[in-house]
Amino acid sequence: MSFTFDNQRPTATVVRSLHPLVIERPRSPVHIHSYGGETPFFEGLGQGRLMATRCDNPACTEAGAAGYLFCPPRVHCPDCLERMTWVDITDGPARTAKVHTHICVLHPGAFNRLPTPSKLISVEMEGVITTLMSHMRVGVPVIGMELEPVFNTSSPTFTILDLSWRQRRAR
Amino acid sequence: MIRFSERNLAPPKQMRPVYAVAAGQSDFRKRYPGKKTEELAIEAFRMLALENGLKVESVQELRSYIHSAYYGHFADHFGDQLLGEAQIHDRLGLDPLANAGIKTGGATGGSTVWMAANAVASGYSDCVLALGWERMDEVDTRTGNHYIAAAADRDFETELGHTYTGYYALMAQRYWNTLGGASEAFRHTLSKIAVKQRGYAWSNPFAQTHQRITVEDVERSPFIADPLRFYDACLMSVGAAAVLLCDEETAYKLSDDPIRLFVAAGSHTLRAADRRPIDIPLLPHERNDAAILQQYRDLYGDGKERFPGYTGFLAARMAAHYAYGMTGITNPIEELDMVELHDAFTISDVQTYEDIGLRPYGSGADFIESGDAYHTNPLTGLPGRCPGNVSGGLLGTMHAIGATGIMQVNEILWQLQGKWAHFHDRPELWERFGKTRPDDIEDLQIRGARRGMAVSHAGVGSHVTCAVLSRPEAILK
Ligand SMILES: [Zn+2]
Repeated sequence: MSFTFDNQRPTATVVRSLHPLVIERPRSPVHIHSYGGETPFFEGLGQGRLMATRCDNPACTEAGAAGYLFCPPRVHCPDCLERMTWVDITDGPARTAKVHTHICVLHPGAFNRLPTPSKLISVEMEGVITTLMSHMRVGVPVIGMELEPVFNTSSPTFTILDLSWRQRRAR
Repeated sequence: MIRFSERNLAPPKQMRPVYAVAAGQSDFRKRYPGKKTEELAIEAFRMLALENGLKVESVQELRSYIHSAYYGHFADHFGDQLLGEAQIHDRLGLDPLANAGIKTGGATGGSTVWMAANAVASGYSDCVLALGWERMDEVDTRTGNHYIAAAADRDFETELGHTYTGYYALMAQRYWNTLGGASEAFRHTLSKIAVKQRGYAWSNPFAQTHQRITVEDVERSPFIADPLRFYDACLMSVGAAAVLLCDEETAYKLSDDPIRLFVAAGSHTLRAADRRPIDIPLLPHERNDAAILQQYRDLYGDGKERFPGYTGFLAARMAAHYAYGMTGITNPIEELDMVELHDAFTISDVQTYEDIGLRPYGSGADFIESGDAYHTNPLTGLPGRCPGNVSGGLLGTMHAIGATGIMQVNEILWQLQGKWAHFHDRPELWERFGKTRPDDIEDLQIRGARRGMAVSHAGVGSHVTCAVLSRPEAILK
């Protein structure tokens, strides 16, 4: 794989004001960013899987002893710093998901890719100690609403946007 | 880490007393094309040197005391200039003295004072400069919001189009629906904070805004991220602030009225998602208060609400724990005569009242509703018990990130020195900033103030510092 960087600047300078002298300084860099050891999470979303991690170190007195899951996942246990075990929670804890808190974003920051207004939610799941930040594309969130995950498997973006949630249907 | 040892929790120590001696600032503006950041830093430093009644004749004479410098600047990408610290240091004429840049998000200013104080407390330097700035006017507001949101987890959270208003809106939503009782009254409390802070900014010549607003204005302002509205959010500013810290001997050589300074800090996860629930670490006055302990069982027992979850800030609670242990404060509402809090959003002001123990968790709104938080209690017309953000805070006066925590310390320093009028009510100062002193300026000097605390706060509570300033005769331990 090779990367090309092409950030040529136009030769003309745009002047905004003369006193004081104010110019435009363009900048549009592209960052080549790796998910490193967290790759299974972002790879999983595009394949319809929600992945979490768990500390299985028997000597760990905090997260390991408690046995709970982390989602967002961590490569290393925050307590003992041993490598954690990847766990597919799609058909387990993800089926217990609920809205912990939520907002409606009317003025997102630049480079936003979600349709505005966007509905961001914090998701709690049984057995998961964290509350995953995510979004709903359909429906209106309220605290405590039962959720099920929706994965973008058809044209993954390989970002957190490949996961969204909708109100859970009776199974 | 969710279990703490005695060693983890030990009160921080200063090996010798530290004094805040003099302070200075530029004015704060949304855009400041007329001046480069270096010019604003020099204005802050010149005010510090020449307008605080120091026993020096010139900037050069003051410079002869300085041994090292600490610079607060958070967001390099805003100004597209890396290592601006070196530039500022050179423009201030402080080469070749040692300097270092400090960067802890919104707490950058507070952390800069923390590092500077530690340099004096350790004996490394007898006299240090802490100076911070931010320049947020080179990009449009949407890009600015994205730049700030890049201080959240880039992969898991920023990508969702998040903004910092969004983060605090998540907190407001959760707080409002759980601890806030889902009531309209809580919305009004938030609005009163927005009105109060902007009301104080009216009388502050450094302030970015001079605008009188009402509760109705706040509640009619557009949503930025529902439930937070335009007036619930702080400013984005350009400006600089500086404070001079000394050991005891140097402090009294330079000033007749130096003020003791203690700074402590705490931290918590960058991702709010990763906050693991723990038992509330209790402050000294909470430990044996049956009513407070019962309130905590009612609110948090049986997993009803998570601590810190989206409703509290562990970093602030920890910073307060350390600061109170360091200073001997046992009940902050009794022993603090003023606070300057990081009111980035109205909701975070309420949360901070609870984190630092001015009210128990779940009762923050009462700090406003009781009138305690006001310079003059609107219910009684008497002095407020512990006035909050009489500077105008981040909501009314400024949030130039690297300067903010320093501005808070400056405001308390000047209050404890009885210099509020000198730095707020001089017509010459208003004119210097291109403004006219309002005829109805409010005298906000807090009479008889002995101690105050500034809380500087980053991200969604990733870093928090608590700076306690105390008149030397009012030291508790
Ligand atoms: Zn572990």
